[in-house]
Amino acid sequence: MSSLSAVATLSARRAALTARTPRQILVPLLTPVLFALVIAPALKAALGGLHTHVDYTAFVAIGTVGLLVPLTSTFAGLSVIVDRTTGAERELLAAPVRRGLLVVGNLVVVLAVCTVQVLVLLGAALARGADFHASVSGVLWFAGSALLLVVFMYGGSELLASRIPVQEEYIAATPAVAILPWFFAGALFPISALPGALTAFAKMLPLTHALALMRYGLLGDGGAGLHDIWGMSDTTAMAALSLGVVALFAAALTAISIRAFSRSALR
Amino acid sequence: MDAAIEVRGLAKTYPGVEAVKSIDFSVGQGEVFGLLGPNGAGKSTTIGMLTGTVKPTAGVARLAGHDVAAEPLAARQASSAVFQETVLDQALSGRANLELHARLWGVATSEAAQRIADLAKSIGIGELLDRPAATYSGGQRRRLEIARALVSRPQVLFLDEPTVGLDPRIRHELLDVIAGLRDHSEMTILLTTHYLDEAQRLCDRVAIMHDGRIVALDRPAALLAGLGRELLELRLDGDVVAALDTLRSNGLAGDDAFAVGSTVTLPLNGHSAADAIASARDIGLQLASISTREPTLDDVYLRLTGDRLDDAA
Repeated sequence: MSSLSAVATLSARRAALTARTPRQILVPLLTPVLFALVIAPALKAALGGLHTHVDYTAFVAIGTVGLLVPLTSTFAGLSVIVDRTTGAERELLAAPVRRGLLVVGNLVVVLAVCTVQVLVLLGAALARGADFHASVSGVLWFAGSALLLVVFMYGGSELLASRIPVQEEYIAATPAVAILPWFFAGALFPISALPGALTAFAKMLPLTHALALMRYGLLGDGGAGLHDIWGMSDTTAMAALSLGVVALFAAALTAISIRAFSRSALR
Repeated sequence: MDAAIEVRGLAKTYPGVEAVKSIDFSVGQGEVFGLLGPNGAGKSTTIGMLTGTVKPTAGVARLAGHDVAAEPLAARQASSAVFQETVLDQALSGRANLELHARLWGVATSEAAQRIADLAKSIGIGELLDRPAATYSGGQRRRLEIARALVSRPQVLFLDEPTVGLDPRIRHELLDVIAGLRDHSEMTILLTTHYLDEAQRLCDRVAIMHDGRIVALDRPAALLAGLGRELLELRLDGDVVAALDTLRSNGLAGDDAFAVGSTVTLPLNGHSAADAIASARDIGLQLASISTREPTLDDVYLRLTGDRLDDAA
């Protein structure tokens, strides 16, 4: 069986299981949509926004992608534990397919779910009056960045699921993995507004790079977020560097998670 | 006969536990081979190593000529397994579980549909196929798992304690299904069980495992022959091990006698039961009950895994 057929089969299985638990798709949307529709406009009205030409509602809408993707990816990691404890993991391990493809099969579905969720989130923000400035290249920067963020976050979730034996412990770790970085990554305000040490910390987070890239793509902010990270004058170079950072983290975590899964699956 | 399963020096050590200690056996094509032993004997670990879900510490295992470590995909392509615990996607229908196996094992879609229909009919789950597996009873899940393992028409089928936890009626129905596989296919089956009647009924040969080792390996009839035609069972009041020692020191019991619980079992080996009972009474044993019967594989198993294990091994 070719690797492509195997991934298609494994993805179809994961999609069928995910479709039977629609809450897995809907619940992670609630908080980001709430931020985009209610909290961001309220903050804008109360505090006056960013005091730039950038629309604060749009700024936060993209910021909440940085909450949505980690939440969805982390919840998807729970399915790995369910497979292991009450599902068909041993059957899959006994199948004539490379074990790493099991991780890839799950990732494909997480990518699809996140794509739908991000479109819903941005659609909701647009409906609420968010002001995006999209160009073809901007959309590509956004899409590439979002895609790599999903790959990075799902790699982390798979790794976590391989290391944590039970659902209860995994759920306890979820806020630290999925939510905590979001507060430092410039989701609600530019990272330059943070104290110096925290700004330095934020620059090391892949999420910060991903959000700055997504805003560069869809906000027409001239790469303000990228400039806060790199301090350079060439915006395209900064975007490429940030994309490289997210890609590096995504590739590394995917490789590590495949290795961890293959090792932990063997008793 | 070519070996469908070949195991040489296979061992598995977990931290602090030697689960399997360098075992050797081979199983011919079309043979039904039983691995018997108590819980913790190493049976499931052995199946795990053969199916590639447990990494061996040492040794070599081949399935249909493929080394499970060096050619894992080819070895897994040639085999299917029904594991001891339920391994199903519970939210999916029975049909979806079967189709998934077919696709993973590379069975063409049109061919898979026909095989699933045939298997569902022969295994008696045709009416259930479109229900979620979570709604199946324990026996129905087992049937579904057996059907799933057969969809790919494996050269080697592993059945790890397939009837454990099932009620007697379902268990016997399932044994009929497995017996049907034995009678109507050329598939090699490796079955683990601690129900000795299953092994006696289904297996061409059995290996008895204890404490990670194979302590006996032969045809069931040959293993039974080692205990003679008739056994005397003495149920005793008091220290049964001391009683067995007394019987031995008085020449009334040989190395093949064994004690389990409050019962001493003596192969009569052609001697008269009446003489043996009289002699036991003469040496002062307090006999609560006495019976004679033909030996079963249970007796072979108990002799090898009971108090006589060290001598037997």
